Amino acid sequence: MDTILKRLICLGCGFSYDEALGLPEHGIPPGTRWTDIPDDWVCPDCGTPKSQFEMVVIGYAAGEPDLARTA
Amino acid sequence: MTQSFVLRANERGHNVIYSDGPASSYVAGHPGGFISRESSFNFHEYQDGRPGFGAIRVFGDETFHGAGCGYNMHPHHNFVICAFVLDGELTHINTAGRGMVDPLRQGDYYVFSAGSGGKHCELSIGPEEMNAIYLWLMPNQLFLPPTYHRAHFDLRTRRNRIVQLVGDAEGALPVAQDLRVSRLVTDRRGTFTYTPRSPLHGVYVFVAEGELRCGDVTLSRRDSLGLSGTAAIACDAADTTDVFFVETVMPDQARIDLWEAAGGHDH
Repeated sequence: MDTILKRLICLGCGFSYDEALGLPEHGIPPGTRWTDIPDDWVCPDCGTPKSQFEMVVIGYAAGEPDLARTA
Repeated sequence: MTQSFVLRANERGHNVIYSDGPASSYVAGHPGGFISRESSFNFHEYQDGRPGFGAIRVFGDETFHGAGCGYNMHPHHNFVICAFVLDGELTHINTAGRGMVDPLRQGDYYVFSAGSGGKHCELSIGPEEMNAIYLWLMPNQLFLPPTYHRAHFDLRTRRNRIVQLVGDAEGALPVAQDLRVSRLVTDRRGTFTYTPRSPLHGVYVFVAEGELRCGDVTLSRRDSLGLSGTAAIACDAADTTDVFFVETVMPDQARIDLWEAAGGHDH
C-alpha cells in the first residue's frame, strides 16, 4: 500500500493540495487522499478541473508549511 | 542519450478567448477584444500536446487584441511567471511586496514568483496589439515569499551574441529554479553555440523571428525544439533572427525514488 502523502499543484494557477494538510476550510480534512476527492472537484482558486493537477516532489520553503494551511 | 522534439508553429495549441461571453470576468477589454494564445505545452483547454519540458509548464505566445484587452486581476501560487514583451505595451500589475504597476515595452521582461500567494493583472491599454511570451516554471520550493523583478533587453546593443536574461549570470534576473533563459538577436548571419551547464539539462529553443538551423533541423518563425543529453548546441542563425533558449533541470527519477523511499518528507 502506498503510504506516502502526496502534494499536487493546480496547473491552471499553482494552487497546491497537500494530502497531509487537507483543505479544512473547503471541507476536506487533513490526511484526505487525492484519490478520495471527487472527480468533479475543481481548484477553489481558479476552477481548473482535478484532472489538471500534477503531483510534485517539491519541498516547502523554510517555515512555510504553516502558510500552506492558511493560504 | 539525446532526446529531442520539434514543434512547428502551427502544431501548437491555439486558443482564442473573448472579452465578452463566458470569459468576460477573466478577460479584460471592450466587447470584441480577444486574446489569442499559441501554447507550446498543455495549458487549460489545450491538452493534446506535451505536458511540459523540465521545469517549464507553460510557454505561451500570446497576443492581446483591442484596447484594454488582457487578463483581469487573478490569483496564483507557486508558479514563477515570466513575460517577455515582443511588441506593443504591456501594463503588468502585481501584489508582490508592496505591489506595483509596471509598463513594459519591446525588450522589457519580468519574473514574477507567486510563491505563497499573489495576484496579477496583464493589460494592453492602447489599441495596438501586444505580443508577449509567457513562461511558467515550477519553482524549486513551495510557498516562497512572492517576488517581482524586471529588466530590459536592449535589442540594439546586445546583438549577435547569446545573452542570459534570467538565471544565475551577473545582470540576469534571479529565479528560484535550476533554469536559465537566454536570448539571441542577430542582424547578420552567424554560427552560435549554446552550452548548457551540463548535458543533463534540457534546452528548449524557440525562434521568435527569423530562421535557425540546429543540426539537420531548420526552425522558422515560432517553431521550436526541445533537446536534452547534449553538451553543446551549435546553430546557424539567419540575419534578423530572434531566438529564446530556455535551459532547464530535467526530472531526476533517482532523486524522486530517494524521496519516496524516505517517506516523502522534506530533507
